[in-house]
Amino acid sequence: MKSDKAFELIIKMFTLVSVTILGFIIFFIGAESIPAFRHSGVAGFFANERWHPIGAEPVLSILPMVLATVYVSFLAVAIALPIGVGTAVFLSCIAGESARRVLKPFIDLMAGLPSVVFGFMGLIVVVGYFERHFSMSSGESALAGGIVLAIMILPYIVSTCDTTMAGIMKSYKISSDSLGVSKWHMVRYLVLPAAKRSVLAGAVLALARGMGETMAVMMVIGNSPLLPRLLGKCETIPALIALEMGGAPVGSLHYHALFAAGLILIIMRFAVSMAVWRIKRGADL
Amino acid sequence: MKRIWSLIVASMMILSLALTGCSQQPAEDASKDEFKSQIFFKGSSTLAPVVSQIATEFIDANETWNKVNADFPEKSIDLFVSAGGSSAGVKAIIDGTSDFGMVSREVKDEEKEKIADYKEFRLGLDVLTISVNPENPILDVKKNLTTEEVMKIFSGEYKYWDEVAPGLPHNEIVVVTRDIGGGAHQVFQDKVMGDAQVKAEAIQEPSMGALVTKIMENKDAIGYASYGFVNQNVGKITPLEVDGIAPTEGNIISGAYKISRPLIVIKSGELLPQEQLFVDLMLSEEGMKTVEKMGYVPAK
Repeated sequence: MKSDKAFELIIKMFTLVSVTILGFIIFFIGAESIPAFRHSGVAGFFANERWHPIGAEPVLSILPMVLATVYVSFLAVAIALPIGVGTAVFLSCIAGESARRVLKPFIDLMAGLPSVVFGFMGLIVVVGYFERHFSMSSGESALAGGIVLAIMILPYIVSTCDTTMAGIMKSYKISSDSLGVSKWHMVRYLVLPAAKRSVLAGAVLALARGMGETMAVMMVIGNSPLLPRLLGKCETIPALIALEMGGAPVGSLHYHALFAAGLILIIMRFAVSMAVWRIKRGADL
Repeated sequence: MKRIWSLIVASMMILSLALTGCSQQPAEDASKDEFKSQIFFKGSSTLAPVVSQIATEFIDANETWNKVNADFPEKSIDLFVSAGGSSAGVKAIIDGTSDFGMVSREVKDEEKEKIADYKEFRLGLDVLTISVNPENPILDVKKNLTTEEVMKIFSGEYKYWDEVAPGLPHNEIVVVTRDIGGGAHQVFQDKVMGDAQVKAEAIQEPSMGALVTKIMENKDAIGYASYGFVNQNVGKITPLEVDGIAPTEGNIISGAYKISRPLIVIKSGELLPQEQLFVDLMLSEEGMKTVEKMGYVPAK
């Protein structure tokens, strides 16, 4: 009994430590970004299209980066969602047990590939293709970022959907087989509607994942602080921070502005995570 | 019994986590008495491969410190070189987190003020060449750009190649730069752009390698490629003359080619004997040869 008590205490301590660390990180980022907000005001951060942190009159507005982050992530989800849901339907309803056993780990493995590898492939294949086959001066674009990111977030969508769909399939297979309903009818009228919530949860989860992706996206979008257009260059918040942190002298306005950008990214991702949580609470996962 | 052990291990883990922050102070005191076998370098990603190369050859040849000098103890030579940008190199010296900083630009006066007993060792020179893809037709029309033309290209005043010189195709100029806050860009800003800003459409590459790769792959691209990279990729990217002066070794040494930057190793305070030994090696003929082999202009 005594050791149980001690065990409980240690678990509580662990939780406290991790929560404290997380709290300190957020506190630190918040504190470091105050000078930037003081310089241009919270509204000023979204006021115009110019990001110019160095020089005599610094202009700190990360509106283009915020929009680009949302744009590229949504684009990626839009591309990955149909493919992901299709793959999940195939895995859970159509593929046989042996095919499933091979394919599922293969897709999960994709989630574990280092993102720089995706970025490199994107640079050579996607950006190169755009330059050769479209009359684009340079292939770096929001679309290239969206395509690369779509491939990266695919496993997240497939995993979330497949788990739910396999469960639905399992519980209704015998009943619908005995009713003589065709497999496709079952997918269309039973599996897909029932899995609606987890499809949504998967999409939002993938969106959150996409927003934070740095390396792969940075390599293919050109990193120009412009308002995002499908075939234009743009710069996401993670790319901005990764690119400029090394050159920003500690304590400078530039440095604080990058922290402020990080804080805004955290808030954006937090909002998306809240959405996932709300959706999941409604779904039977 | 097992459970008690696991409890002890768990609490040790927490304790070690909590105490890691405290270890920095004692380590510094110890270094005075004990022989310091590890030397850390941090900073410029341009200079890092050069220092790393010299360090690797040094370690391969000697392995332990006593083989370099009989007075030193038999401890393995550990030289760590990490790249993180020139500003990070200066910051590491100010904060005392690294023994040496590598900087590929002039160290600013306000930075020097923050460093106690500032010392610098000049290894060589690098220049930023204004380079294009070898397939770019500009090479047939004109091999020379004036500083003003370069400024207009990078600021976006010239948007298409045919505005630079008649007869060139009506293709958009793809300007490639390093990150605007970085060391290389500061040199370019000071020496070429002045008060003008680089156009927002420019592609910002995270490293000099990526910048050079972009120029190699895109025939409409133009960017400021480091001299070392141009020498490592002869035939794949072609430097242009600026104000009639080509970025050749002679012009760089004489100072005629003006978009140049020094490659410096900086240090705060007195050097330990083993540190002095390695600095001497870098500045020796052998070290200078490595600087040259990596494509830069050696200081001596």
